Amino acid sequence: MADFLSGYSIQSWLQSCPQGYLENTDFGHPAGEKEPEELLDNETFREDAIRTTVQLVVGERAALAASSGLINAAPDVGSKMFLATQTLDEARHVEIFTQRLLDLGVKKDELESVINTYANANLVKFAEVLLEKVDKQDFIAGVVGQNIVLEGMAFSVFEMMHATNEAANPKFAHTLTGTIADERRHVGFGENRIGSLIKENPKRKPEIQKMQQEMTYHMLATFADSFKANSDVVEQAQDQASPDIKPAVYHGVDLNRADATEMEAVLADTVLGEFKTRLGRIGLEYLSPAA
Amino acid sequence: MTDAIDPHALSEEDFHAEVHSFQFWLEAVEGYLAGTEFGFDAGQTDETFTLPELSDLITTLCNYCVAEKTALEASSGMIRFAPSPDAAIFLSTQVADEGRHLEVFVHRLKMLGIEDPWQEIDNRANRSLLQFKDRLLEFVDQQDWEAAIFVQNVLLEAMEFTVFKAHASSADPITSAILAGVVKDERRHMGFGENDLGRKLRQAPHTRTRLNQINKELNPLVLSTFSEIAKELKLNTHQGLSISSNYLATIDRLGFST
Repeated sequence: MADFLSGYSIQSWLQSCPQGYLENTDFGHPAGEKEPEELLDNETFREDAIRTTVQLVVGERAALAASSGLINAAPDVGSKMFLATQTLDEARHVEIFTQRLLDLGVKKDELESVINTYANANLVKFAEVLLEKVDKQDFIAGVVGQNIVLEGMAFSVFEMMHATNEAANPKFAHTLTGTIADERRHVGFGENRIGSLIKENPKRKPEIQKMQQEMTYHMLATFADSFKANSDVVEQAQDQASPDIKPAVYHGVDLNRADATEMEAVLADTVLGEFKTRLGRIGLEYLSPAA
Repeated sequence: MTDAIDPHALSEEDFHAEVHSFQFWLEAVEGYLAGTEFGFDAGQTDETFTLPELSDLITTLCNYCVAEKTALEASSGMIRFAPSPDAAIFLSTQVADEGRHLEVFVHRLKMLGIEDPWQEIDNRANRSLLQFKDRLLEFVDQQDWEAAIFVQNVLLEAMEFTVFKAHASSADPITSAILAGVVKDERRHMGFGENDLGRKLRQAPHTRTRLNQINKELNPLVLSTFSEIAKELKLNTHQGLSISSNYLATIDRLGFST
């Protein structure tokens, strides 16, 4: 375990993240990049971007509370060190997505009310299930909830958003590139560190699987709400797009041509597939919310 | 980003958002950590220590680890009840700083031949410092923001700042380089504590009485820790008193009587 944790040291993090892929960035993207005018000038598109970004802030705030809250529950110093870097990663994500809200025209003194207005109730419940484990200082359940379930969901959502925005909104796509790199590291830690702890504590499996089931339910409900809310926007954006627009392919689906239902399906399938694989690697069985 | 922004031209609220941000932290640490490995230039070679010198340095570093682990646990525990998103983000940068300090001191212990640093830290930890730690973590567990930020970002950080600065001036080159980087972080942490409490005290002056009581309760523990460290660092009486008086002057400057 010691060798694997040395790869997650603060020294490694400093070299790969602040002195690596974040060097010369400004809130996660190259300085000077701006949100596209077509988005800022269209009230429907702008509101949809605000709604989407609010969900990212809510998710990242939960991740910040969870990763910092798990430091004192960590059974070894190597895990504490990794969680210290993750805490700062999550704080950075909160900051860059909050900055995006400001870039989209949300006034600073209205930030909290905008976040409260648009925060998806199911996403809030998803976070509550996780933070309940963190409050109990339950390290194993907390890391599974945080680094496998939440981070696994974030990873896929960010990749999908990146595919959608790569051509249409390079500023946002570049912001997502750094967060995807961070999430990959977080998921890697979860898989590496928790597998051995699950093996040592097999009796914990049913309770942790139940948490995953509950979090998955709220996650799928969040996806359903979100895609339902923006189905008209998706249609409008596709109508206005240039016929020559390059395909934005995500797991075989062209997001520039797919409707909201297809998008929801490909995202849910991808995340659930990842859950099954990652949970299997640490010795847990995926429980469907429908079961 | 900072090319275009003069922090002094910002409103108070925007100033705090700016200096508490990850972006600000990133630019600050890039300046003094770039090119270092575990806090010093990787090309530096160690000097030879006599056995008593080595033992004293190990004891001192073990106690630095106790202080930094305390700071890591306290600052991470405070994020959940931080009074604003900006304060939570600042504390997150502090969590990474404290984790780094712990890592560089543990690495230094390993360089000095300690195979199991955590066993050594347990053996050599100063009792007064451990009592100080317990009291701070009690405030954190109680989610008492004012007391926790006072004990963590004012008392503990001022304590570390004073000792590390004094030690850096007389230490071997590698320990000195490590301490110089750590001191720069501590200055930032103290600034946050002073700033946050300064505003609170303006709004609620009665808070000062309570914090003064906490200060008086913890002061003997701090001074006892200094006394032990002064012995380990082989400081003469004048130098030892100077550490204590510098610390007390810092606390006094913030308006807390000792």
